[in-house]
Amino acid sequence: MMNFALLFRNYGILLVTILLFVILAVSADGFATERNLRNILDQQSMVIIAASFMTIAIISGNFDVSVSAVFVTAPLFGLRVENMTGNVFLAVAAALAVGLLMGAINGFIVTRLKINSFIGTLATSFMFFGAGFLVSSRSLMRPESDVYRLIARSRFLGLTSATWIAIAVVIIATILLSRTRFGRNVFAVGGNMEAARLAGVAVNRVQTTAFLLLGVAAALAGVLNSSRSISAQPSDDFSFVFAVLTAVIVGGTSIAGGQGAIWRTTTAAFFLAFLNNGFNLLQIDPIWQRLIEGAVIIMAVAVDTWTKQRRA
Amino acid sequence: MTQEQTSNQLTLSGVSKTYGSIAALSDVSVTFEGGKIHALVGENGAGKSTLGKIMLGVETPDAGALTWQGKEARFSTPAQANKLGLVGISQELSLMLDRSVLDNLSIGRETCIGPFVDDRATLKQAQRVMDQYEMPLDPRARVGELPVADQQRVEILRALNQEANLIVFDEPTARLESTEARKLMLILRNLADQGKAIVCISRFLEEVLSVADTITILRNGEYVRTNSASEETRASLVEGMTGAADKGQFPPLPTVDQGAEPLLVVSGATTKGAFEDISLTIRPGEIVGLSGLVGAGRSELAHAIYGAGRLEEGVVTFDGAALAGHSVSNAVDRGMALVPESRRDQGLFMNRSILENVSLPYLDRFMGWLGLAAGREVAQVKTFCEGTALKYGELGDPVSTLSGGNQQKVLFARASLGQPRLLIADEPTRGVDVGAKRGIYDLIVGMASEGLGVLLISSEIEEILGLSHRVLVLSRGRVTAELVGDDINENAVMAAAFGAN
Repeated sequence: MMNFALLFRNYGILLVTILLFVILAVSADGFATERNLRNILDQQSMVIIAASFMTIAIISGNFDVSVSAVFVTAPLFGLRVENMTGNVFLAVAAALAVGLLMGAINGFIVTRLKINSFIGTLATSFMFFGAGFLVSSRSLMRPESDVYRLIARSRFLGLTSATWIAIAVVIIATILLSRTRFGRNVFAVGGNMEAARLAGVAVNRVQTTAFLLLGVAAALAGVLNSSRSISAQPSDDFSFVFAVLTAVIVGGTSIAGGQGAIWRTTTAAFFLAFLNNGFNLLQIDPIWQRLIEGAVIIMAVAVDTWTKQRRA
Repeated sequence: MTQEQTSNQLTLSGVSKTYGSIAALSDVSVTFEGGKIHALVGENGAGKSTLGKIMLGVETPDAGALTWQGKEARFSTPAQANKLGLVGISQELSLMLDRSVLDNLSIGRETCIGPFVDDRATLKQAQRVMDQYEMPLDPRARVGELPVADQQRVEILRALNQEANLIVFDEPTARLESTEARKLMLILRNLADQGKAIVCISRFLEEVLSVADTITILRNGEYVRTNSASEETRASLVEGMTGAADKGQFPPLPTVDQGAEPLLVVSGATTKGAFEDISLTIRPGEIVGLSGLVGAGRSELAHAIYGAGRLEEGVVTFDGAALAGHSVSNAVDRGMALVPESRRDQGLFMNRSILENVSLPYLDRFMGWLGLAAGREVAQVKTFCEGTALKYGELGDPVSTLSGGNQQKVLFARASLGQPRLLIADEPTRGVDVGAKRGIYDLIVGMASEGLGVLLISSEIEEILGLSHRVLVLSRGRVTAELVGDDINENAVMAAAFGAN
């Protein structure tokens, strides 16, 4: 029994994205060119990597605000290791390990200390940002080896390695969510925690795992970002998490948990990128872009709320 | 009849109320008088709470009229009823736990000078009410730190801190210790002596017999009789509340091999505040009914056995081995299955598919080389859904699209998919239409016939009588009766449930 609202909730984002693509292809010169689209893919790769696993965390019933801090700080640890050893492989491993550790801290705070995930990860954000300033001695860091830039900037079949990594991450996250026991448990825990507990699901372990995976994904995105710019810099800039959350929410993942899909998050990330890119090509005032982005978020959440009320 | 008594008289005539297709009240007429404590008794679902809600404007009757203080009264919101002096103290307290006694008493009734609250006058007014009804409390105390009995006094005082001429108490002593319950009864008497009409909904019959002046019995939404308390006995009340038991709606029970090794042995199970010193045995193929009132500790006991709730003392032996450091996944692995009390809150994932709902606890059985092996999972789930006679379109449909009875069958399909040895069924027919109940009964008896032990928890006494080989009755966390075979009858169960200590 699919009513129109449910159908729109499930496939609306795809429809709207295709529509926007067609409109821009017709109206904006230079939009539907191979080069432009390759650029969009490359630029969005980092948001897509983090957003895929943010989707899983939100479905499991938790927010994670700290992805910005992990995104900024993990590559600083990686570059510190690279500067010390000259080994790029070790650097990446160190950055991902830091992401894993930060995810573990978030998981502990939320599932064991029972602190609201939004507040808990806001608090850890500051701690993680702080760690970034410490490890970098408050200054810009650069890789010593030229190999570091190849992490994100190698090319294969015309696409950058960052794009290929994002594609791989999306596939892994999709399989994880839709084809494994863990994925089913994520939906169960976020949908009805008590019922999940009574069905024998290890609720805390599932939610902690979601944080761990998201920590690693955010660190990976951070490494790609530092590789693209061949540098990393400590800051307390929260903008990355907003881009990630926007993609997840516009993709129709329920902020209450228990509902969502990776492909919809990915589609929404492209929708937002097209919007951005199209406005630039059409030379429209960026202020309009913000207004429309805000309106899009409200619409996405409203559709989610309405479909819920209909079923209640 | 004094002037005061007439003025505080509420008459309900021919009141009816239906929810969907269920008649909660049909054609009930009763009069409540000032100066008296008037008790409403009946089994769960008899309509006493509905009647209370109608008096307070929480529910509007479908038919019938109310007369208050000699005039026809029409109200459809609690606020309108409050204005007329009709107030209620519900079972669940609705207090602001972080605020002071004074704040709770005077919210919405502050004495004001212009837009400003006059703290001193407000305090004086609250103090006056406490003095008048002899319930002294520290107005500065934080409500959350008070014992339950005092919190309840705050709730009562709040009702009295306004014009209150008829007060409905819904299960006022359910959460109180016996000495506190007695003190509360004195408060009720004091209020009645001041001319107020007191309506007391209670399931504790001794309490009702000792404190009430008048008792009205309801059964299945129908008025049975109103009598003065001195003319009733516990036996007469139980008989009036239960009527004649319905026979023939249950499948025949399989016989139990009494020589078989017990499947589940619980001894000395205790968790403070929930249940005390419980011992029970279930053999393969045996259905043990756990009866008692809501809140008697039945679900808590079931959850403790299943590893989902606390067990402070005592031993649970399952299949010959003692369970220590028990958890739900341990219980599931060893062959226990639970159909929980509330399918919406504890059982189902409403917007997920039937498939996912059924297979969730047993996903490890369907692991393939790349995640879940969808083919095997679908085939198994289908088999067990058909085994429960579940009516569905496709396995991918969300369970929210199913009827209550079919949603319950999803939980039974889940339980049977695990091929368990013990089934714990907590209120298995709650919210299921009368016609669909037999299907659930057949499932329970069918599972017992296959050699499963069944622990059946139900508030519906017919279910306990019709489905159990043996019945344990709990009252306030203790076993007050264990009945076998011919000794299982309604009066014996009810008498034990209503708490002979």
